[in-house]
Amino acid sequence: MSSSAYAPAMERTQDSVVKRQYKPKRDWAKWGLATYFVIFLIFLYAPMILMAILSFQGYQGGVTFPFSGPAGLDWWRSIFVNEVHHGQQVIFTNADGIRTAGEGSLWVSLAAGAIVAFLAFTLSMAFRRRFRGDGVAFYIILLALMTPGFLLGLGTQIFWKAMNQETSLWHTALGTNTVWGIPFGFLVMTAIWNRYDDHIDEAARDLGANAARTFGEVTLPLVWTGIFGAFLFGFTLTWNDFDRTALLVVGNLTLPLEIVGLIQAAALRPDLYALGTATTLVSLAVIVTFLVVLTIRSRFRRAPVQSVEEELGLGGGIDAEAAEQVVEG
Amino acid sequence: MSSSSTPDPPPHLDLADIEEDELEVEQEHERALGEQRGAQRERGGGWVTLAWAAPGFLWLGFFLIAPLVFIVLMSFWTPDTSVGFVKDWTTQNYSDLVHPFSLDNAYWKDMWRSFQISAIAVAACLVFGFPVAYFLAMKVEKLQYQIALFILALAPFWTSFITRSVAWAYPLMGSHGALNTFLVKLGVSSYDHPLLNTQFTQLSVQLAMIQLYILFMVTPIFFLLAQVDRHAIEAARDLGGNWWSTFREVVLPQTMPGVVIGSIFIFVLTMGEYGTVQVISQGAVTTVGVYIQTQIVGTQYPQGAASAVLLVFILILGVFAITRFSNLREDI
Repeated sequence: MSSSAYAPAMERTQDSVVKRQYKPKRDWAKWGLATYFVIFLIFLYAPMILMAILSFQGYQGGVTFPFSGPAGLDWWRSIFVNEVHHGQQVIFTNADGIRTAGEGSLWVSLAAGAIVAFLAFTLSMAFRRRFRGDGVAFYIILLALMTPGFLLGLGTQIFWKAMNQETSLWHTALGTNTVWGIPFGFLVMTAIWNRYDDHIDEAARDLGANAARTFGEVTLPLVWTGIFGAFLFGFTLTWNDFDRTALLVVGNLTLPLEIVGLIQAAALRPDLYALGTATTLVSLAVIVTFLVVLTIRSRFRRAPVQSVEEELGLGGGIDAEAAEQVVEG
Repeated sequence: MSSSSTPDPPPHLDLADIEEDELEVEQEHERALGEQRGAQRERGGGWVTLAWAAPGFLWLGFFLIAPLVFIVLMSFWTPDTSVGFVKDWTTQNYSDLVHPFSLDNAYWKDMWRSFQISAIAVAACLVFGFPVAYFLAMKVEKLQYQIALFILALAPFWTSFITRSVAWAYPLMGSHGALNTFLVKLGVSSYDHPLLNTQFTQLSVQLAMIQLYILFMVTPIFFLLAQVDRHAIEAARDLGGNWWSTFREVVLPQTMPGVVIGSIFIFVLTMGEYGTVQVISQGAVTTVGVYIQTQIVGTQYPQGAASAVLLVFILILGVFAITRFSNLREDI
C-alpha cells in the first residue's frame, strides 16, 4: 500500500464519499452508569470515610457520632506511642499490642501469599492437561473454598490434638489460611491458562529452547500477573482473617484478633479508626506504586513501531481531510 | 502433454465423497483440539502432571482433608462434659439436630436466617454489582482508567473486615450514626425512634454483608465482561438486535461463569460468616455460624462438629445448584 492508492484514476462517485467526522453522540447509558458507579463508591467507602473523620477527634472522642472536638492527631499518635498526654491527664494506648499484632499479621500474610502463589501455580499447571480423577481433584480445590473458616480451624485443632501437637500461628493458622487462598489463586490461574495460547510454547520449542528455557523465558513472563494475583489473594485473605485464626492461636497475634480483643474488652476507641484508615492508605499506596511501576515498565518494553501502517507512514488510515484533499487535488 | 484427450473425472468423486472428506478433516481437527485441551501430548506426561499436582494436594490433604475427616469422625463421638468428648460411636449428635426438624429447633432457625441473609446478599450483589462491572468493562474505554477505577473500588477490601464492621456498626448504623442523622435531616426519622432500626439488627447485618462481599461478585463478572468479544456484539447489533436482545443472547452467556463464581463466593462466605455477624450485631443476631461457634466455645465439640457437617452438606447442595447454570471448568 502506498499513498497513491488514494488517488483515483478517474472521478468515480464512490470515491467522493467522504467519511464524516464522527460526531460523538452523548452516550446516556454511559453517564447513567458512571453516576451509579460514583454512588456505589460512596456506599463502599462510607464506613471508611466516617472512620477517617472520627479518627481526628479530640481525646474525649468515642467510636460514634457526635464528633467530639477539638480535632487533633491524638488518636493517630496513639497507635505509635504508648502514652498520650493531655495536660495532667495521661492516656495509655494500645500501641504495643497493635504493633506486635501488626507485625505478626504482616509476616504471616506475606508467607501465606507466597505459599498460595506457589501452590496455586503448580496446581493450575497440573490442570492444563486432563488426568485421571481431575474432576474429583477440581472439587477438592473448590471444597477448600466452601469450607467455613471456623470449621477448618476446629478441624485443624482436633487433628493436631490427635497428633499431640500444639497449634500455633506459624504451624497451623498459616496452613489453614493458605487453604482458603489456594482456590482463589487457582481460579485466577485457570482463567489465565484457558486463554493462554499453547502455540507460543510450541514456537519457542521449535526455535530450539528446551522445556526449562521455554518455561522461564516465555511462559512465566506471560502469566506472572496471574501469579501475582494469587499472591495478593493469599496475602489479603490472611491479612483480614479472623475466623480461621481465632481458634488456633492463643493471644492477640494478628491485627483482626487484636481488634476483636479490643471490642470484647469494650475498649473501643478512635485509635482503631486511625489504625483502619492507616492500613487502608498504606495498601492503596502499595497498589498505586505497583501500578505505576508496571506502567513504566510496559512503556519501556513496547516496540517503537506498532503496526505496518505506522511504519509506512499511513498512521491514521483513511481520514476525511486527507481523502478530501486527494479527491479535490 | 496429451491435453487433447481430457481424462474423465474420476468416477468416485461425487459430492457425498467430498462431504465425507470434509467431515474427516473436521473430525481430525476436533481430535487435535481435544488432544490440545486434554489428552497427553507427550509420553511421560502423566508424571509431569503428577509432579505439578503433588505439592498442592499434599498441602490440601494435610490442612484441608485431614481436618475435615476429623470433624466428621468427631461428629460421631459421644459428648463428655469434662473433657469435651470420648471416642464412643453414636449418632445421637445428628438425631438431636434433626429432632425436631422445624424452625422451633434453634439450629434450623439459625440456618434459615443465615440462608435468608445469604440469598438476599447473593441477589443484591448480583443486581447492584453487575452494572458496576458492566460500566468498568464496557463503558470505560481506556485500559488504564479501567484498572484505576477497579483498584479504587477494590481498595476498601484491603482493610480488615473486622475494622470495617466496627465502622459499620457504630458511626454509620448507630442511632446517632450517619445514616439516621441523614434521615433525621430529611425529616423522616428521629434520634429516639429511628425509621430504620439498624443498630445491632438483622437489617444492619444484611446491609453489611452486601457491602463487605459485593466485590466478590463484581470482580469475576468484570474479568469475564472484559473478555467478551466486541465483534460479536457489533455483529449482533448489525443483525438488528436491540440492546436487550444483544445483552441476553451475546453478553450474558459469555458472562455466566462470572455470575456463577461470584454467586458461589458470596453464598458460601455469607452462610459461614461468624466474626462479622458478632461484631455488627453485638450478639443480637444469631446465624448458623454463631450457633456452631457457641457450641465449640462451650466445648461441645461433637455437637458442634455435627452441626458443621450438616452445614457443609447444605453448602455443597447450594453450590451444586448454582453450578447448574454454567460449566465452570470449560467456561472460565
